[in-house]
Amino acid sequence: MTVNPKKLRPYDQPPKRRRTLIPDGPDSAATGFFIAAALWLAVAAGLGAMAIGMRLISVEFSFPLLFGFSFEFDQRRVEYAFVNATVFGWLTNAGFAAVAFMTPRLLGRRMAMEKLLMLGLLAWNMALAGGIASLYVFDLGPNAPLSALPWLIDGGLATGALIVTAGFLVTAVASLRTGYVSLWFAAVALLSLAGLTGLNALIGLLDLFLNLGELPVALASVFVERAISVLWLLGVAYAVLHYVVPRASGQPLASAGIGMLSFVTWLLLAPLAGLGTLLDQSVPFAITSLGNVTTMLLLVPAALTVINLVQTMQGRWTLLFGSGAVPFAAISLAFLLGASLLDAIGSLRSVRLLIDGTDWERGAFLWAAYGAFTFAAFALAEHALPRILRRAWGGGVLSGAQLWLAFGGATVAGLALMGGGMAEGSLLAQGTAPDAVGEQLLIYRATAFLGFGMVALAGLAFVVNLFLMYTSGDPVEYTVPASGSTSATAAAGH
Amino acid sequence: MTVHTPIETRSGGLPPWAIGLTVFVFLVGGVYLLSNLVGENPAFAIPGVSSSPASSGEPDPAVGEALVSQGGCASCHGPELSGSGQFPSLLGVNDGPVSENLQELGTAHPDEWIAIWIDGTTPETEGLDRGGMPAFGDQFSPEQIDSIVAYLKSL
Repeated sequence: MTVNPKKLRPYDQPPKRRRTLIPDGPDSAATGFFIAAALWLAVAAGLGAMAIGMRLISVEFSFPLLFGFSFEFDQRRVEYAFVNATVFGWLTNAGFAAVAFMTPRLLGRRMAMEKLLMLGLLAWNMALAGGIASLYVFDLGPNAPLSALPWLIDGGLATGALIVTAGFLVTAVASLRTGYVSLWFAAVALLSLAGLTGLNALIGLLDLFLNLGELPVALASVFVERAISVLWLLGVAYAVLHYVVPRASGQPLASAGIGMLSFVTWLLLAPLAGLGTLLDQSVPFAITSLGNVTTMLLLVPAALTVINLVQTMQGRWTLLFGSGAVPFAAISLAFLLGASLLDAIGSLRSVRLLIDGTDWERGAFLWAAYGAFTFAAFALAEHALPRILRRAWGGGVLSGAQLWLAFGGATVAGLALMGGGMAEGSLLAQGTAPDAVGEQLLIYRATAFLGFGMVALAGLAFVVNLFLMYTSGDPVEYTVPASGSTSATAAAGH
Repeated sequence: MTVHTPIETRSGGLPPWAIGLTVFVFLVGGVYLLSNLVGENPAFAIPGVSSSPASSGEPDPAVGEALVSQGGCASCHGPELSGSGQFPSLLGVNDGPVSENLQELGTAHPDEWIAIWIDGTTPETEGLDRGGMPAFGDQFSPEQIDSIVAYLKSL
C-alpha cells in the first residue's frame, strides 16, 4: 500500500532531526573545505590580478588606524597577500577537502572526528583571514611570503592543520600499511604542513624574544616556503591525481609498483629540496648543491607519476575531449611535468644567479600553483562535488570555460613572467638601471596581467559552477560513507 | 551503506624500465653533486632589503662596461673612449683629471673624483662647468657608478 505523504498527520511522521550548530553528517567537512576553497580562489584571483597590475602601475598609499597602527598598501604586501591566499586559502582548503573526501572512500569508514574537522576548518580560515589582513598592517620583516604572517596567526594555522591531520590519522592509521598510495602521499603531506606551520610559529616566537637577526630568519623562511610547496602542495597533488585518474577514467591504476616508487622517491627528495634556497655565504656550498640536486631529481617522481597515470588512461583518450575530471587531471599532469622541469632548470647555479628575485620566480610559481596544483584541485572538484552535493552534473559551458580559461591564462601568464624574468636577469647583469629595466619589462607584465585575468575568470566560473550545481542540478543518490568501520561492497562511481 | 572502493591495479610489480630510469637519473644527480661540492655561495638577498640579488654589491668592471655602453658615453668621448673634439679621453683616468676645470676636484678627492664627477648631483660639483656632460646621479645608483669607475680604471 502506498501512502500519500500529504495525508500524513504530524504524529504519523517520524520526528525530524534538528540540525546541529556544527554540521557532522557524512562529507560535511569535505563540503565545508570545498566551499572555503572556492571563496579563497575568488579572493586569490582578485589579489593576483592586483599584484601583477601593480608591477605595471605602481600604487602606494597608507592611512592611520587606531592605536598608532597604519594601513600600508604597496606592491610587496599585495603580492604576499596573493601568495598566502593562493597557497593557504585556495590550495590548502582544496587539499583538506581532498583528504576528507578520499579517505572515507578508500577505507570504507567515515572520517573520524567530523565535527572537530569543522572546527579545524574554522580555525584555519579565521586565522588566515586575520593573517592576510595583518600583512597590510605589520612589518613584513625579512620573511618570504608564506612566513610573513605573525607568529600567533601561524599558531592558529598550525592548530587547524593539526586537527585535520589528527582526523586523518585516527581514520586511516590502522589501514595505512595496506592502504592505497594516495593515502601515503596524503599522510606525509598533512604531517609536513602541520610541522611547517608550527615551525613558522616557532621561528616567529623565537625571533620575538631572542631577536634571531634578519639573515637567519630570512633563510629559515625561504626554506619553510619551499618545503611547504614540495611537501604539502606537491604531496596532496600526487594524492589527488592517483585517486582521480583511475576513478574518472574507470580503469585500474596501471602499476602499483610505479605508484609506490613515485612515493618513495618523492619522500626521499622533497624534504631536502628546501636546502637549495639557502643561497648565502654562511651556508656551506655542498649543502645548497645537495638542495639543488634533489630539486632536479624531483623530476623522477613527477615523470613516473605522469607515465603511470597516462598508462592508466590508455584506451580512454576520448575522455580527454569530453567533460568531467579527466581533462583537468591531464592538464594538471602536463603542468606538473613542466613545473618540475622549470624547477630543475632554475636550480642550476648559473641559471639561478640570473633569475633569482626576478619575475621568473613568479612565473614558475604561477605554473605550479595555478597549473599543476589548481588543475588537480579542479579535477577532484569535478569528480567529488556531484557526489558530495548529490547532484547530477555533466560539466557544460561553465566547466569548459573554467578548463580553457585557466589553462590558457596560467600558460600565458607563466610564460610571460618567466620570459620577463630572463630579460630582467640579463638586464640587471648588464647593470641596467632599475627604472630602465621596469620599462623593458612592461610588455611581459602586461601580457601576464591579461593571462592572469583569464585565470581569475576561470576561478569565477568555478564558483558560479558550484553555486549552479547546488541550486539547479537534479538530485541524485550517491552512496555516502556511513557510520561504523566495517567495509561493504564497492559502490560504483566512487 | 558504507563506501569502500579500493582502486584496482593492473600490475603490482615494478617494471624494470622504471627501476633503470630511476637509478640512472639518481646516478647523474650524484655525479653532478660530486662536481659541485666546493665553491662559495653569493650573499643572500633578504626580501625587502635588497632589490637586486643578482648584484654582489662589489664594483664590477663588466657591469661598468655595460653601463658605459648604456649611458651613451661613446657618443661624446668617441667609440674607443679616447676623446673626440672638445670631449676628453677617458683612457688613463688613473693618472688624474686632464681637464682644467677638474683639477681642483681631483686634488680635493684624489680617490673619488671620477665617481663624484659622473654623479654630478653632489655639492662638490656645484658651480663646475660640466661642458655638456650629463649628471648621471639621477640615472645610476652609487654602486653602478662605482662599477663604471672600476671599468674606466681598467682601460
